[in-house]
Amino acid sequence: MRRARADMAPSAIFGEMGRGRLSLPWGRTVEMCWRSVKNRRGRFLLVFASIAVVVALFVSTLSHHGMLRDLRASDDVRIQAALEHAGAASNDPQSEARQSERMMLLLVLSGLLCFVGVTNTVFMSVTERYREIGTLKCLGALNSFVVRLFLLESAFIGIMGSAAGMAAGFGLAYVQMGLTVGFAAISLGTVVKVFCLAAPLAVAGGTCLALAAAVYPAMAAARMKPVDAMRVEA
Amino acid sequence: MPEQAIVHTQDVRKTYLMGNEEVHALCGISATIHKGEYVSIMGPSGSGKSTFFNMIGGLDKPTSGEVYIDEVDISQLGIYELAWLRCRKIGYIFQTFNLIPVMNALENVSLPMVFAGLDSDQAREKAAGLLHKVGLGDRLTHRPVELSGGQQQRIAIARALANDPAIILADEPTGNLDLKTGQLIIELLLSLKEERGVTIITATHDHKMLAASDRVIWISDGRITRIQKREELDIRVGSIDEATSAPPSSSP
Repeated sequence: MRRARADMAPSAIFGEMGRGRLSLPWGRTVEMCWRSVKNRRGRFLLVFASIAVVVALFVSTLSHHGMLRDLRASDDVRIQAALEHAGAASNDPQSEARQSERMMLLLVLSGLLCFVGVTNTVFMSVTERYREIGTLKCLGALNSFVVRLFLLESAFIGIMGSAAGMAAGFGLAYVQMGLTVGFAAISLGTVVKVFCLAAPLAVAGGTCLALAAAVYPAMAAARMKPVDAMRVEA
Repeated sequence: MPEQAIVHTQDVRKTYLMGNEEVHALCGISATIHKGEYVSIMGPSGSGKSTFFNMIGGLDKPTSGEVYIDEVDISQLGIYELAWLRCRKIGYIFQTFNLIPVMNALENVSLPMVFAGLDSDQAREKAAGLLHKVGLGDRLTHRPVELSGGQQQRIAIARALANDPAIILADEPTGNLDLKTGQLIIELLLSLKEERGVTIITATHDHKMLAASDRVIWISDGRITRIQKREELDIRVGSIDEATSAPPSSSP
């Protein structure tokens, strides 16, 4: 079969190269990324931690607000007294708005910092693996395969990091609120409601952050030349 | 039997711009490599040997001139076609083995098949067959770090054969191996050439590799200085023997 192919006219060979022939199935992509993440735990711990911190900050703010809103709406006199005692009963919309504005700024800034950190880490991982990337290209990987591998890797860490951050942030907000107004005051309904609001938002946000931060380094990886696989030094 | 050209270069030139100065890495190389041949490209570093070698492998494009691989002018190829060519037509072997560290032997060998669209069961089966062929049938699930340099290079050879390429390009395949292991690798390449009729092109400093070659293309200063057939090499066997008895790391 190979021999016949070699005898073909150039036009036939071009025809044979019909588009869509080179492929990297998703199952294999996921497997490759998962292995890579597992094998580079140290490096990725950094990305994991920075995403977890940002997401925790985000979730704790969101949950805190959510629980506060529910508690304020409660008719229970004891809860109102506890809120009063904690200085959290004020419903002044102006100071409220100012506070959430400041919180927003903090969130955006930490998100930006996290973004830069993740980009930097993925970049390091790309430069470290120039030979691996070059080899993949020598074996027939398209640029899109390389982009996909790096993006998925980052998304994996994003999902894990934001899940951890979400749990930590929610726990923090719950404990904090519980300590001010008493754990008994916070009904299960409130907890579930607030959690269901914050959790998907947090995981989606954290994953998107990790993905977006990896776009540029992943493209840089895809631009690497297959000749890089031949480099011997270092 | 008429010899069929598998690689043909026509007046290939490559010019780099270094600052404001033009550096001519290749100054018009025309050569033909035939199907089923074992060709070594020799030359000191900086001779343009690597540039020429990369061009034959579809890894670099000439500034002017044509490179035909299997009758296709590679300068006409787009990104997709080049990737296809690298996947299906050419098998690469590197000095540093370049196995994917997080994958075991079987996964490394089956990776190019996955790229080529083979389903994973077929790929596994074929990869296992190739690993048996290179003598690593009992190391299928070992990772590269668990294997010696010679074993890693044999996996790399199996991987290079994954999609039944017409050409195997080996860049200093014995460069990181000791004398005896290097010899075994060369024997393996030779047997593949005999069995499968695959064309083998190596860039090397290794005089052991010269003895195995059908032809040797000597390059210096971006030009072919001479092309020797094996018969012509045999005449100089005395001097080659002398060279091999020198420390293996010494480069010409």
